[in-house]
Amino acid sequence: MRAVSPGRVGARLDPGRAAAALLLVALAVFPLLARGDTYHQNVLFSAFLLAVEALGWNIVSGFAGYVSLGQSAFLGVGAYTAGLLAIHLGVSPLLLAPLGGVAAALLALVVGSVVMRARGHAFVIITIALVLILQVTGLNLTSITGGSNGVTLPIPGWDPALGNLPFYYAMFALMVLSLGLCAWVRRTKFGTGLLAIRADENKAAAIGIRTNVYKTLAFIASGALVGVAGGVYAYFLTFIDPRGMFDILVSVSILLAAMIGGRGTVWGPLIGAFIVQILTEATNVWANGSQARLILFGGLLMATVLFVPQGLLPAAARLLERRRTRGRAVEATSHAVVTRPIEVSRIVRTIDTDDGEDLLVGKGLTKRFGRLVAVDRCDVTVRQGTITGLIGPNGSGKTTLFNLLTGMLVADEGTVHLAGTRIDGLPPWRRAHLGLGRTWQTTRLFDDMTVLDNVVAPLSRFRWRTLAASAVAGHEAERARELLAFVGMADLAGVRAGHLSFGQRKLVELAQVLMTQPRLILLDEPAGGVNPALVERIAGLVRSLNERGVTFLIVEHNMPLVLELCDPVVVLASGRTIAAGTPETIQRDPVVLDAYLGEDPSTMHDEAPV
Amino acid sequence: MTGFAQALLLGILIGGVYALMASGLTLVFGVMNVINVAQGAFLIFSALVTWEVWSTTGVDPIALSLVTTPMMFLLGWVVYRLFVRRVLDAPPSATVLLTFGIALVLEGVMGLVTRNVFHSVTPGYERTSFYLGPLFLPKAYVYTFAVAVVVLSLLYVLLTHTWTGRAIRAASQNLPSAQLVGVGASSVAAMTFAIGTATTGVGGSLLAVLFTFFPASHYVWISRLLGVIVLGGMGSLPGAVLGSLILGVAEAMTSTYVSPRWATVVFYIVILVVLLFKPSGLLGRPVREDVVAA
Repeated sequence: MRAVSPGRVGARLDPGRAAAALLLVALAVFPLLARGDTYHQNVLFSAFLLAVEALGWNIVSGFAGYVSLGQSAFLGVGAYTAGLLAIHLGVSPLLLAPLGGVAAALLALVVGSVVMRARGHAFVIITIALVLILQVTGLNLTSITGGSNGVTLPIPGWDPALGNLPFYYAMFALMVLSLGLCAWVRRTKFGTGLLAIRADENKAAAIGIRTNVYKTLAFIASGALVGVAGGVYAYFLTFIDPRGMFDILVSVSILLAAMIGGRGTVWGPLIGAFIVQILTEATNVWANGSQARLILFGGLLMATVLFVPQGLLPAAARLLERRRTRGRAVEATSHAVVTRPIEVSRIVRTIDTDDGEDLLVGKGLTKRFGRLVAVDRCDVTVRQGTITGLIGPNGSGKTTLFNLLTGMLVADEGTVHLAGTRIDGLPPWRRAHLGLGRTWQTTRLFDDMTVLDNVVAPLSRFRWRTLAASAVAGHEAERARELLAFVGMADLAGVRAGHLSFGQRKLVELAQVLMTQPRLILLDEPAGGVNPALVERIAGLVRSLNERGVTFLIVEHNMPLVLELCDPVVVLASGRTIAAGTPETIQRDPVVLDAYLGEDPSTMHDEAPV
Repeated sequence: MTGFAQALLLGILIGGVYALMASGLTLVFGVMNVINVAQGAFLIFSALVTWEVWSTTGVDPIALSLVTTPMMFLLGWVVYRLFVRRVLDAPPSATVLLTFGIALVLEGVMGLVTRNVFHSVTPGYERTSFYLGPLFLPKAYVYTFAVAVVVLSLLYVLLTHTWTGRAIRAASQNLPSAQLVGVGASSVAAMTFAIGTATTGVGGSLLAVLFTFFPASHYVWISRLLGVIVLGGMGSLPGAVLGSLILGVAEAMTSTYVSPRWATVVFYIVILVVLLFKPSGLLGRPVREDVVAA
């Protein structure tokens, strides 16, 4: 098949681009060279349709990672909208096809705004149910859809000599548009946000990505052009019925095409669509029909999941990358952390609120998991300008408290205020926009992105036009590089985050948090699992940021570090605050010693910590 | 009123059969976090075998579950060893897609072998009923309900009173701890998947008596079963029973008071609404991931 040439792997390769352009031109002139070859034109038309669908699927399922088996719903809704309107208005369905797109987009908006709450298994199953509901509803609403008899559309009004050419070019144009949409999304902030959601949705929310809007938009983008294609397809068939239009098998072929080619890539779904379409034709020609197609689709689906879950294009790209970088990968990651001092003043603008005011106040926070009370009526206050330490024995609820403060978990009781604003009802991304940043004990970076992309990903507010902005560009990219230089990771900007060592990841995550200029940063065990030299370094960074007015709340087990760095220190045991004060008083507090070392008979009291 | 009582009764009888069919699906999910979308196709496969044997030999279709159950147990074990085992660590959607692929292949093979026509098994008692005042109880419903109750009870005893059963329950509650005390995760998973599939053996034989079916019927059946376990709480066996009874009755009521054509929609709507608003279902354990605010 001429559509797949290995040279087109990766859009950066110039030969690849040339091949891609050549392919598109070839497809554009094919019907002119082979006039009257309707069979091949129709096969290509079907491949274009599948490519439109697969490229749409790619946006919600490839980029955002929400695997959908409901894409045929968009095709059906588009087909019915354009088809039925055309019959009633007496206009060509081809002209009304865009309205099919509008209808599909509306469906995606309505369904997406609720359905995107579900994750993993639940989302796939819901999308299957969606198609089946529409099919049954279509079959039962006989007065509108014609039920199982379907609806017949008028035959095309144009000069019969043109044959199916208008269909061919309409669908070809839609395919090029879909390809453009995919490529564009991939380059924007919107696309980076979707990739972040796929990699780690909670983390994405924590760095200020408004996940619900992103996901719903992705669903709309994945359906709109498919809806237009549905209108064209309906006219092409001159017949629509619920079984054919809301067909779960169509959804399967869409998913297959995108997965075989490579989900999350720009060209993969298109290549996959051509592969699947040609195989479908083969079963029609050699194996006579639908049973063989079922076996083929089913078998291919199984084989893809089992052997090439990433798809052909990424597999090929990885092979090439490995060949090209053999021996060099090690060099990149074994770089020692290089210090290249950069003025902290370039990193944070001075925050001029009065030191000593309450910045973050949690009151009466409670979180239960079943019968386990992880955080129990806990009070915690972080004053502006401090480096507040949060210590406590394992299982005392420190990380859960962090999750309550940042919105990763919703508290059963209690309130959280940040600089006087109540934030406990707000989603994590809103809290991030208000100036709350955090890191994780185990670090959570987007492993498939480069270090630079990771640092550029956070957003300090939500604006519609930001969505369309380039992912890595101008002022932001420059700032990200400065931040990386500040933490001493500038040399690794182009390395994939998954290749970093644990300590390097800690530094990158710190740079990432700093991107949005937070007023308060919550660090979860910044010194855990890293070597002493790096601990010193991180402590130094925290100090210099603090001098510029950034406030910190730090969970840490390294006591010497806590005592040296933090003031005040808050002690948590059994989900409650049992003490707070200067390091000196904490060190001498018998209740604290109790909590760590067990019951001291001389200070026996009712609420024995675990 | 009689109409209502009749629908309620039929709903409960059919719900008992649903409960048996759904038990395997929920068991597999509970232990290995896999939604076996091929469960519907397994059911239809077993029903087809029942039809084939019944139509050539005349053996009672319900009694044939003694054959179909071990057959499906074996099939489940093989499918687990060959395929499912390999994607347990992949993202959850991978197992859905894999088992969907298995269902499609099975549907295609069944279509080729049976020329894709509707089948139904009609033993002598198929059109006769017991009478209870103004109400009638079709004998097929009563017999299949009785068998379903017996098999579910056996399954319950297996899970609570044998070492294998305790291992399965331990693995479903806390796999790492179960492994620490000597439960082999891999063999427990294989056993669970095989037992879960075995329920479609007897389930398929009962289905063959109660319904007409053809290969593509598996979509309807997997939707029913998913509706049941989603409502009851995925992974919960008592939840599957409760969900089956509720949905059996809801389906019968819809057939009686609205139209049989809308009856299947009940399941789809339950799937949508429950997964969106209370993903843990009626008796399921709350899922930590869903607690998170998005």
